[in-house]
Amino acid sequence: MSEPQRHLTADDLEVVEGTEHHRIEGWVPQLASEAELRDALEKAFDYRGDVTITRRDGSSVEGYIFDRRMGATLAESAVRVIPKDSREKITILFSDIAALAFSGRDMAAGKTWEAWVTKYWEKKAAGEKGISLEPEKLE
Amino acid sequence: MGVPVSQMWTVASYVLKQRLHGRKRYPLVLMLEPLFRCNLACAGCGKIQYPAHVLKQQLTPEECFRAVEECGAPMVSIPGGEPLLHPQIAEIVEGLVARKKYIYLCTNALLLKQKLHLFQPSKYLTFSVHVDGQREHHDFSVCLAGGYDQAIEGIRVAVERGFRVTTNTTLFDGADPNSVRAFFSEMMDLGVEGMMLSPGYSYDKAPDQSHFLGRARTRRLFRAMLSNRKKDWVFNQSPLFLEFLMGKRDYPCTPWGMPTFNLFGWQKPCYLLQDGYADTFEELMQATEWEKYGTESGNPKCANCMVHSGYEASAVNDTFNSWRGFVATVKATFSTIYKDDEAAEMLKEPVHPVHAHNPLVQIGDPTLSPEASERMGHPRLEETRA
Repeated sequence: MSEPQRHLTADDLEVVEGTEHHRIEGWVPQLASEAELRDALEKAFDYRGDVTITRRDGSSVEGYIFDRRMGATLAESAVRVIPKDSREKITILFSDIAALAFSGRDMAAGKTWEAWVTKYWEKKAAGEKGISLEPEKLE
Repeated sequence: MGVPVSQMWTVASYVLKQRLHGRKRYPLVLMLEPLFRCNLACAGCGKIQYPAHVLKQQLTPEECFRAVEECGAPMVSIPGGEPLLHPQIAEIVEGLVARKKYIYLCTNALLLKQKLHLFQPSKYLTFSVHVDGQREHHDFSVCLAGGYDQAIEGIRVAVERGFRVTTNTTLFDGADPNSVRAFFSEMMDLGVEGMMLSPGYSYDKAPDQSHFLGRARTRRLFRAMLSNRKKDWVFNQSPLFLEFLMGKRDYPCTPWGMPTFNLFGWQKPCYLLQDGYADTFEELMQATEWEKYGTESGNPKCANCMVHSGYEASAVNDTFNSWRGFVATVKATFSTIYKDDEAAEMLKEPVHPVHAHNPLVQIGDPTLSPEASERMGHPRLEETRA
């Protein structure tokens, strides 16, 4: 949010810039402390790609985190995942998580309005007609 | 054709029944998202950015019916993704019609003409076609050359075959009110029942975070657009919600008014924010900390929201919660012009989007002369070019 708008109420806002998204595809966060674990899992909940969670028993799940439930302790907190290979919803307690990797592609990356406008004018300048964006093929 | 009296009666009696039962929070429209995949790839859309294994999934008709019965709302909006991509969409619609739910099937209409034979005209079924403005604006907005023509053809055929059809339009920073007003007339000429509008909103899952109207700007835009209305314009929305968008009213958010159900469950707290999921509608209503949401809560994620999914139910509540609200609704229903000289002057002002890359100012080819642009049929875009 720009400086002049800082003291205004929501009703005075001209434009809201929204949430800043960081590129975290491929990131393998350190989970040494409870704070690091909670922070990483909150980022994983916001992430628009698959993650891989390794449990303390050595098993792992790759899938999309669609929900997280915060409790007072790690044993009372959990993420909920749709695995890559099923529609089953799996609940994994924070206390069972040994490692986390942002292993899947960030599906939102590069899909901004600016990216489209830039592409549009580049193609137009190259003489292309019927300029469009195609939905990705679902592999 | 306007909204059928039976629909108005159903909604009114439902709301009054909730009040008689002393329910402070109740759903008005279920937002049922049977799938996330889409045949458009609109830049900035936050609804379709999922891994392929999620996009390939869809709700079964039984899951849809269970959600509808759990929720109990009299109206069901079916957005997505593109619902016409669902292989059992006709079965879902048929089941909802059998349950006497008023359905708004939100579609980009690319497949509407091809799939229309799957449906029967009914007072319960409305195709709500996504059109974001005049041809060039819409095509640019949905990132598809020719998208407008396909949508219009879908509307034309659906109207011709006796279906209820409305449009739904989302407006972002830099929208040209003159162009949008011309668009309203074009849509009414096509024979649609009415039009629906909403300002864009920077919910944090959207990959684009820079083109959303702040509340002050939203009010100016909607005041300019919706004052001094043409007599034939019909809006398929609460008139008090439109007055809210024009800055004539203020409402708190009622996110429970339009709850969302999709592959993940019941979405907390609303159609656009994704702050987790509940497994049942009851859990959604009981476990969501509603006071943490809405502009009035101070939650920065809600700062610029004036979207229908948060505020239209608030306006409907206002209609039925007091004589004042009821009288205002009656007045707004029969006195639709909203004469406003200052708003008419606002239409003469050039559009000044905050951000440089704006669809409505960038869309015209800057190398074209005004004469050439007019020959192409886009005279209204000239003033708004950067």
